[in-house]
Amino acid sequence: MEKKSLLKSALLTLVIVIFVIGSWEIYLRNKGIPISYDDGPPLWANNRAMVYEPLDDAVVFIGSSRIKYDLDIPTWQNKTNIHAVQLAVEGSNPRPALEDLANDPNFKGRLIVDVTEGLFFSKSGPLDKTLNENIKYFHDRTPAQKISFFLNKPLESQFVFLNKDYFSLNAKLDELEIPRRAGVFMMPLFPIEFSHNTFERQMFMTPEFVVDTVLQNKVKANWAFFASLGKGAPPMPTAELDAIFKSVKVATDKIKARGGEVLFVRTPSSGVYLQGEKIGFPREKYWDKLLTYTNCPGIHFLDYPAIDHFVCPELSHLSRPDAIEFTKHFIDILEKDKNWKLTNSNKLN
Amino acid sequence: MVFNSYTFIAFFLIILFLHNLPLSWKTKKINLLLASYIFYAAWNPPFILLLWLSTVIDFFVGRALYTQENHYKKKMLLIVSLIGNLGMLVFFKYGTFLLENFVALCNAIGFDYHPAEPNIILPAGISFYTFTTLCYTIDMYQKRSEPVKSLLDFSLFVTFFPHLVAGPIVRPPQLVPQFEWPRKASLKQMTDGLLLLTLGLFMKVVLADSMLSATANSVFESKDLLPTLDAWIGVFAFSGQIFLDFAGYSTCAIGVALCLGFVLPQNFNYPYAAIGFSDFWKRWHITLSTWLRDYLYIPLGGNRHGKIRTYFALMATMLLGGLWHGANWTFVAWGGLHGIYLWIERYLKDRRHAAHSHKEPSDTIEVRRHPWISFFYALLTFMLINITWVFFRADTFGKSWQLLQSMFGLVGEGKALLTTLAILKVSIIVPLIVLFHWFMRNTKVLNVAYKLSWFWISLVWSTLVLMIIWAQESGSSFIYFQF
Repeated sequence: MEKKSLLKSALLTLVIVIFVIGSWEIYLRNKGIPISYDDGPPLWANNRAMVYEPLDDAVVFIGSSRIKYDLDIPTWQNKTNIHAVQLAVEGSNPRPALEDLANDPNFKGRLIVDVTEGLFFSKSGPLDKTLNENIKYFHDRTPAQKISFFLNKPLESQFVFLNKDYFSLNAKLDELEIPRRAGVFMMPLFPIEFSHNTFERQMFMTPEFVVDTVLQNKVKANWAFFASLGKGAPPMPTAELDAIFKSVKVATDKIKARGGEVLFVRTPSSGVYLQGEKIGFPREKYWDKLLTYTNCPGIHFLDYPAIDHFVCPELSHLSRPDAIEFTKHFIDILEKDKNWKLTNSNKLN
Repeated sequence: MVFNSYTFIAFFLIILFLHNLPLSWKTKKINLLLASYIFYAAWNPPFILLLWLSTVIDFFVGRALYTQENHYKKKMLLIVSLIGNLGMLVFFKYGTFLLENFVALCNAIGFDYHPAEPNIILPAGISFYTFTTLCYTIDMYQKRSEPVKSLLDFSLFVTFFPHLVAGPIVRPPQLVPQFEWPRKASLKQMTDGLLLLTLGLFMKVVLADSMLSATANSVFESKDLLPTLDAWIGVFAFSGQIFLDFAGYSTCAIGVALCLGFVLPQNFNYPYAAIGFSDFWKRWHITLSTWLRDYLYIPLGGNRHGKIRTYFALMATMLLGGLWHGANWTFVAWGGLHGIYLWIERYLKDRRHAAHSHKEPSDTIEVRRHPWISFFYALLTFMLINITWVFFRADTFGKSWQLLQSMFGLVGEGKALLTTLAILKVSIIVPLIVLFHWFMRNTKVLNVAYKLSWFWISLVWSTLVLMIIWAQESGSSFIYFQF
């Protein structure tokens, strides 16, 4: 074999890689795209590890995407000095997270469960997949994975192109939207302006999205697509629904028995989406029964004039300014109506 | 820790820095040993105790085996070592499997036995380091090589992090002499190593994880009967994934070792260009197949005791080789199917040899003079190998049978599962892998690299790096870690 080395090639490779990555990053920044963290299992597990803080220092949130958009974490933390540990996962049924926390003897804190009826009262199945993977990752994660996560953080904090959902190779291939085969499920794509994620796992839509009805209509079309999947399906048998109530009660009782607290919240939706939810999931059969059955307090946005008027740009999630407003009122309701002590004199780290 | 992680990049930079400091060779070896323990502990720290136990037992037993003249005592020492090594492997890897089969047997003969389900965690790479230490003990017993002089060198031989968890399975003469004298990578070794590391990561991160794994997983995890197209695409996807994942790991391991100045044996040699199954096993997981040949097939009689014994040795080796991969009867079936392929190949070869008895018999099917015919045989081999992957990847025989039915159109119309994009990815990548293997089957990647101009190497190399970055798929485990 040749005795010469590949040093010249290695150096040129380095130059090419830096040049291409640098150009790509500058291009994305010039388009005004903000930093967004990969909301995969490592980030979820990092938050999951925070649930052991004392009851007065943290509140844990589980649920679906609504609480991730609607709870403005900086506002929450500025107003309360209490950590908001966000464990909700978009498009998921939060019951596996509830059970995971209930079965963790070291969790004795306060838990707020966001209820989107179509997801919360769904059968176990594909909707649990992401959350179950996150839970497994948390319990199995190795020291090496923890270190990788902390090494990754400064990179993701600096580079816009490290947005796996929109700029990875697979994301770009998905954007080609190659026509699907008949009968094959394809996850619809969401515009990037709708899906940004902070390190604290708060999701937000950009100001451009809030004013752009074309983008909003794309997301509305996605909701219609998801709704169409369930069309024609028979209603859930009473026995199955009862089993869900029962399992939720078992979980909430476990947490309360250890001194923890559980509260359910129904975050805003609007327009035809809300109308559809009212028809599909009548309040007395689902929400009211959930509170009665589990004997837990709850906050339904329609019960409080301060938070009942929000208009969701794409019918299901709040814009960031509205999320700030919602969070302020939500804290007030928790303190005044539900007697939660939410002001902590200790400064957050 | 895995090669495709930020933790490994940081770890490797520190190791490279320490290894190139003006320290004594002994200090550098201690650094490498400690680094290897950290590398292993990064999965599950308590399991490092098993590694120590295995190392210490085999070092002292190995030395005693070599010097012991009393035949009875020598046998006892060998048994102690085998119990120590295989006992751990059996407990951690096959404990649950054995218990399940015992329970099934009890229930089959009428005993209602339901023990508590054991919760045994499989230590990463236990099959690999057990085979590494086992061959040392057997070599000492048979006085095939000299005992390792120092515990430090032996510990480093067993634990050296590039090969520790997924091979290549090294033999003492391949690695131990490299620890005897100071070694530092030359500039050529360093750049060659970095190129191999990049190539290995590209195979794993971009092709296996980003392009193929989701398709393979969705097909093998589907509960429905599938259309023929979906079933074949899923199997091809796994076929590509398993090669790219494992060969990617081996390429990374060889590259990392080279950056430190050490040479590890080649583990893959373009197996999907194999012409026949003997040829396949000379190209796939080479260090395992040579291990099985030397420590199982030959002791079982090899081809020295007549045809029946040869066929028995072949099948026994393949069945145990299958079981080595995992505690499931499907792995045994995978090995058995390879055994049958090897039987048929041997039978055809024997018949041909009988017809042309003036020719020397060869272990592999001869490469035909006409390249197209050879390529046809390679494709036939590849297609038959794909059938074996069904048993390797499916969790149960039920799933394997269901998939085979779908592949061969034995069921009605199945439920379409794969997107057009997924089908396109597999249809482009897998044929390209086969073609690449075909054109590379008699050469090596570094030889080809050195034939290119430095500018072209840079273009290819930077494309690989950019694709790795673009894939954004860091951190997933390698398939062979579970073995």
